[in-house]
Amino acid sequence: MNFKGTLPTLILEALAHAPTHGYRIAKQIKERSQGVLDFKEGTLYPALHKLENEGLVESYEGVESGRPRRYYRITRAGRVALGRDRAEWRQLSRAVTTILGEA
Amino acid sequence: MTRLDVWLERATRRLAGNSAAKVRAEIQGHYESARDAAIRDGESADEADRRAVNALGEAAAANCEHRKVLLTSAEARMLREGKWEARAICSRRWLKLALLAIPVAMLLAAAALFASGARALAGMLLSGGIGLALCLATPLLPLYTPTRSRVVRVVRQVVVTGTILMVFGGEALKWSWLLISCLWPMFWIEWKRSSIRRKLPVADWPKHLYLCFVGGICG
Repeated sequence: MNFKGTLPTLILEALAHAPTHGYRIAKQIKERSQGVLDFKEGTLYPALHKLENEGLVESYEGVESGRPRRYYRITRAGRVALGRDRAEWRQLSRAVTTILGEA
Repeated sequence: MTRLDVWLERATRRLAGNSAAKVRAEIQGHYESARDAAIRDGESADEADRRAVNALGEAAAANCEHRKVLLTSAEARMLREGKWEARAICSRRWLKLALLAIPVAMLLAAAALFASGARALAGMLLSGGIGLALCLATPLLPLYTPTRSRVVRVVRQVVVTGTILMVFGGEALKWSWLLISCLWPMFWIEWKRSSIRRKLPVADWPKHLYLCFVGGICG
C-alpha cells in the first residue's frame, strides 16, 4: 500500500516507545500494520535523516550483537510533532471514512 | 562485487564522503540484520542475500532521497571553499578594516556630492554605500542564531533589489539581461547555501553559513 507522506509519522510512533535502529523500525512498522504497510527499506534512512535534520529525532552510536549500529531516539520536539500528526490523522481518517461510508 | 556493494555504489553516488560513509554503515548493518533473519527463516545464504538487497528497493530512488537530506559532494566543496574564504579574510585585520572602509568612503563621498549639488550621483553612491555596508559590516553583528541570520539575509536582498531599482529606475527591465547575467551567481550560491542549511543541524553550521555573499563570512 502506498503511504508516502506518512512514513515520518510512523517512524516517530515507532520511536515513541524506545530508541532503536533502522532495521527494527522497519520491522515494527510492517509487523504492527500486519504487512499492509510495505515499503522499500532503503527509503527509511533518508526519512530518518530528514527527521534528524529537523531536530525531531537524534542519533547515537550503539552496538547490537557485536555490530556497530546507529540508534535513533525521539526528541521532545519530535513528541510534540507526533501528537500533532496523530490529531491531524484522526481528523483526516474520520473525514475520509464519513465520505466513503456515504458512498 | 557483491549485490550489496553494487546497491551501495548506486545509492551513494554524488554524496559527500561523510554522507556516503554514514549511509554505507547504516545500510550495511540493516542488510546484515535482514540477511540473518532470512537465514533463520530457513533461506539459503544466497537467497537470504538476494532477499535482503531486494528489500532495500531501487538504489537510484534511495540515492535521490539521500541527496535531498544529506550533503552532496558539490555542497561539501562549497562549504570547504567558504571556510577557506573566511580564514583568508578574517585572519587579516587590515583586510577587514579595508573592506569596512570602502562603504564608509562611499557614504562620505555621497554626502560631499549631495552638498555640492550633484544629487543624482550622490543618490547612486548613497544606495551603493548602504548596500556595501550591509554586506561588509555584518562580521561585526552578533549573528549566531538562524532567525537573526534570516532577518539579515532578507534585509540584504531587499537592499540589493532597492539599489538596483534606484540605479536603473524605469530602465531596469531594459537592462534585465545584464542584471540577470551579473546577479545569477549570487542567487545560485544563496540557493545552494539554503539547501546546505536545511541539511545540516544548526549546531553544525559553520559561521559563514549564517550569511550569504562575501562579507558575512566572519560572523
